[in-house]
Amino acid sequence: MSDARILDRGYRAYEGSRSGVAGAVRSVAWHTVRSILGLGRKGRHKVFPVVVIVIGFVPAVAFLAIAILLGDFGDEVRPEYWEFFNFSVMAALVFTALVAPEAIVRDRRDGMYALYLSTPLTRPTYLLAKVIAVAGTLSIITAGPALLAFLGYTFQGLGPEGVVDGIWVGARVVLAGVAISVIYTAVSLGASSLTDRRAFASVAVILLMLGLSLATALMVDAAGMTESLRLLDPLGTPLEIPARLFGNRTVEYIDIGTLPVVLANLGWLLLGAGTLVYRYRRLAAV
Amino acid sequence: MSIISTAGLTVQFGAHRALDALDVHVESGVTGLVGANGAGKTTLMSILLGLRRPSAGNATVLGLDPVTQGAELRARVGYAPERNVLPEDMPASDFVKHLAEVRGMPKDEARTRASDALWLVGLGEERFRALGTMSTGQRQRVKLAQAVAADPSLVFLDEPTDGLDPVQRDEMLTLIREISTNFGIDVVLSSHLLEEVERICDHVVALDAGRLVADGPLAELVGNDEGVTVELVEVADRPDATAAVLAALRERGFDVRLHDRSAAFDVVADDADRVADAVRDAVADSGARIGRIVRRRRRLEDLFEGARS
Repeated sequence: MSDARILDRGYRAYEGSRSGVAGAVRSVAWHTVRSILGLGRKGRHKVFPVVVIVIGFVPAVAFLAIAILLGDFGDEVRPEYWEFFNFSVMAALVFTALVAPEAIVRDRRDGMYALYLSTPLTRPTYLLAKVIAVAGTLSIITAGPALLAFLGYTFQGLGPEGVVDGIWVGARVVLAGVAISVIYTAVSLGASSLTDRRAFASVAVILLMLGLSLATALMVDAAGMTESLRLLDPLGTPLEIPARLFGNRTVEYIDIGTLPVVLANLGWLLLGAGTLVYRYRRLAAV
Repeated sequence: MSIISTAGLTVQFGAHRALDALDVHVESGVTGLVGANGAGKTTLMSILLGLRRPSAGNATVLGLDPVTQGAELRARVGYAPERNVLPEDMPASDFVKHLAEVRGMPKDEARTRASDALWLVGLGEERFRALGTMSTGQRQRVKLAQAVAADPSLVFLDEPTDGLDPVQRDEMLTLIREISTNFGIDVVLSSHLLEEVERICDHVVALDAGRLVADGPLAELVGNDEGVTVELVEVADRPDATAAVLAALRERGFDVRLHDRSAAFDVVADDADRVADAVRDAVADSGARIGRIVRRRRRLEDLFEGARS
């Protein structure tokens, strides 16, 4: 083995341009996406992301495969675009509870948070990068199956008629997916900001989302309480967004107007985001 | 021209005043921010980085106001925190590259510079190792590498020798000095070890319980002759000789300071020759014998002694 070593690599001054705050946000967001998906990390970090993708896309792929193999099997059976959002709800929940907390909890635990704030990033721009990363990745899971259906139906000749109609359908699918993702992200990161332990964060998110969802369902369906209590369900209420965007209502929310649905979703968004911002304003950087 | 200046900088945490009306001027070079734990060093650093607002007063760093131009300022500075926790499963090269990108470097440039910075700190061969497998000394070097990788004008190093053994500490201090001398990067080094600061710093900002003890070039603050250090030899039939010498010197108005870990003592005054004459007379009168007498150099700890007395 050679003893030869490179002694001077020539540390140089840098005269080029710097990407500033926008570049810092982009870099942290991309790094976070890679981190939460387990890219460039050991195999065990890829387990949950793979599970999420599988359970998110399998139902949509199954329906599309049936549609392709059997042709048009009738409007009664074929799910509408907004219904595909319900297929991915469990995947979204797993992501929100088990994957998303990693985006911020890890930084506080391993010292990256202090280092990030010594760069052009500030607390708000740091959190913006994290929200972009988590909501962006989650959007693939929420809107992905519906977009897949949109493409599948279109290729089968069962999709929208004309380019304008196609763009309108596609835009509503994307808008609904992003809206759900942003609300779930706010709730998840808000709960995760309360602890430095990912496991505790996951339990908190599960209790908040699944626990409240089950509790409101029991109160309304079993105890016969007012339907409006469903608006306290942070898991189900955002799923009403695609239904309303496509001019429909889900069975559970059929007696609830669109304005209360919008306000309830806004409330969950503000509660999550508010908790997150409040916690980070009080968190010492150095 | 000052790279850092503050005027009346005050930080109040409830009833506790962490920084008390600091007027500091830091010149280009290596500056030691020195003081005991809790003196306010980290608080001052966080203000200079624009991460905390002062309760009163103001600061400028590289001509920028950290409060209103924090992001712009932080694009031009590097920072290595005291906390010795880093992402365990991340290779050192990815870690340094990522932070160089966040500080504004284009992707390819960041990759090259991360490699260069790791070679510079002596971790070229180890750059693909996960941070979790590295020793404390190596981690301190990685923190230094990420602080300089994006070619900053100024780096803040918070206790960079924390947890290092004496050999590693020497190497780290040499490296920090080289970064300033060879690459023109100004350094503010926070430390509670006075000897470190005396060894590599050009300037000193000394804090004690949030108050400024001293601020200026190290050569002006320390190093001038200031009295003598004396070690007496015990004489069997003169058991009280040492006490008599100390008493005589104190009687003549000299500041006499006993060493903690030896029988030696310092006699402090502006004129070393006058002190030496006084020591000679006191020793002769008491019947003690001088084991060793050397000119004493003023040290940083004297600044703290002076501030407390």
